[in-house]
Amino acid sequence: VNRDVDIHVEAGGSGAATVTLRGELDVASVDSLEAAVAPVIAGGVERLVIDVSELRFADSSAIALWVRWAAAVEDLELRDPSPLLRTVVTSMGLSGRLKLAP
Amino acid sequence: MTQPAAPETRSRDAAEPPQPSGAASAGGLRVAQGSPNRLPVVVAIVVLAVTAALALISLALYHDNEDRLLRLRVRDAASVLTAAVPRIQTQLASAAELADATGGEVSRFRAFVAPSVGTGREFASVSLWRVTSPSDPMTTVGAHPVLDTMPGAHGFIVHAAHTGRLSVIGLFTPPAFGLGYALAAPGSSRGFVVYAESPLPRSRHTPTQSNSAFADLDYAIYLGRTERPSQLLLTSVKRLPLSGRTARSTVAFGDNALTFVAAARRPLAGTLPRSLPWIIAVVGVILALLGAAVTRRLVQRRRDAERLAAQLDRIAEENRRLYAEQRGIAQTLQHALLPEKMPRIPGAEAGARYEASEHGVDIGGDWYDVIVLDDHRVLLVVGDVSGHGLQAAATMAALRFAIRAYAVERDTPVEILAKLSRLVNVSSTGHLATVLCVVVNVDARELTVTSAGHLPPLLVCDGEGMYLRGHVGLPVGVDRAPTYTSTTVTAPAGATLVAYTDGLVERRGEHLDRGLERLCRAALVNGAGLDEFLERVLADVRSEQAEDDTAIVAFRWLA
Repeated sequence: VNRDVDIHVEAGGSGAATVTLRGELDVASVDSLEAAVAPVIAGGVERLVIDVSELRFADSSAIALWVRWAAAVEDLELRDPSPLLRTVVTSMGLSGRLKLAP
Repeated sequence: MTQPAAPETRSRDAAEPPQPSGAASAGGLRVAQGSPNRLPVVVAIVVLAVTAALALISLALYHDNEDRLLRLRVRDAASVLTAAVPRIQTQLASAAELADATGGEVSRFRAFVAPSVGTGREFASVSLWRVTSPSDPMTTVGAHPVLDTMPGAHGFIVHAAHTGRLSVIGLFTPPAFGLGYALAAPGSSRGFVVYAESPLPRSRHTPTQSNSAFADLDYAIYLGRTERPSQLLLTSVKRLPLSGRTARSTVAFGDNALTFVAAARRPLAGTLPRSLPWIIAVVGVILALLGAAVTRRLVQRRRDAERLAAQLDRIAEENRRLYAEQRGIAQTLQHALLPEKMPRIPGAEAGARYEASEHGVDIGGDWYDVIVLDDHRVLLVVGDVSGHGLQAAATMAALRFAIRAYAVERDTPVEILAKLSRLVNVSSTGHLATVLCVVVNVDARELTVTSAGHLPPLLVCDGEGMYLRGHVGLPVGVDRAPTYTSTTVTAPAGATLVAYTDGLVERRGEHLDRGLERLCRAALVNGAGLDEFLERVLADVRSEQAEDDTAIVAFRWLA
């Protein structure tokens, strides 16, 4: 089983960026994700889309990171979350902070 | 009734850390003892011994072969010498028969023998003798016989007449050297004896002819059966006796004998067999040196490899030790931050467990707490700080003791959870925490659940289980001033409440609901004490390769 996460950051025009995540995200790999996206956040991006359609797993440290991002940008969206991820976010009472789309 | 449930200390500390690849296993610590030069020396000695044996065998074979060849050559050469006998015998016999037939007519005898007498011919002189007056020859062709000057000459003539064979006598009176041959006519009664003399070089030394049967031999020919110097007829060398390997052969020569002694001038079988022992010796020495060098190199390499393997073993062992130590420290610290024992609760009991992740050496952020609020009420707390490590543990400790402090101040869980966000801020520390507070009114069997993003507690009674899914507020640390809402339910008598962290139910690649269902099923099995109940729930629900820490706290009304 591949325990790594594949991170792809794409800074689009007009203050938007997309972060595509594949694999599994946990306390061991969350630092590399934070480092990869930090420049985009620091660059003052307004809209951040996290494409999690191919993310099989995310633990609470990953969710904590997303919550930080959500506080730092105007608009944050988790795109295509798996049922598991959707349940985790909902059960943590965070569906108001981490917008699940669709 | 009380149920002290100290956090379980797990003795299975030795969860295997990843092994360094290539670590030598059994026997890796055995390093060859002794000098690295011993084996190469042994190899060299063995090779030299084999070489010496082979060289000696080859030398012996060479000598044996040379001896055999020399004997064959000597026998051949000796037989060449005897070839002269029939020729001489024929000539003398013919002359003797002529004399016999002519009644000793001198002129015809002289005419007959004249062609074989003279310088460069077979004989130096041929004379005719009569046995009845053996003191002087009747006639002589060529030089005067040396025999005539020797004492006992007539005895030799008489002897020749009686034997009827070719009689041979050596003439060794310096300066004349030669051989004398005497033969009587066979079956004759008149007593004529023909006597001939062949000269020998005065020095009795003859250079060897290159095309003769003796070409590669040094030799000496003696008259008679012994090698008496006085009887030397001919030799090819300047000085006798012959040196080196010699062979001798004695052959009949008329009524006398010739002894042929020879030594080989050069190896008869060629030079290779003679050089072979030396070639073997030189090659053997080279092989011995090479073998020793190669062996030394191999021994050195093997020792290096063994040393490396031993080092790897030590490193692996050190790794295991450090891993166990770090894991031990993490667990010790973790347990130090958790309640030592459960409080006494009249009419109820509480229990808890903490399980570290299977492989982790880091301290986790999970915790539980049971706080007695007053005579009737108990506050159960379960929480989970995101992330791992000392920072997460410090946040956990801060939250745990803050809750205790606020609870003592009689704050409600709604107030407590709201205040906790002053202590934690995900944007500054990177951590957030999910916290579940359940106030249990033991007498009224009321449960007031307040959740800050935490998984719902499970209530089990009489073979039925239900999750208390009330309002779920934000996790602690997300918002500066979050608001929470409590939900109160009434529990049946003898009910059991289970609160836990996500490590219990979460498995990768599986929906969270599956884990919750598994927990519910496991918790329905009844009839056990609370400790046993917790053990079974952990065993049944938690993944064996659990990667997250797990805290679980249970509360049960006594029936």
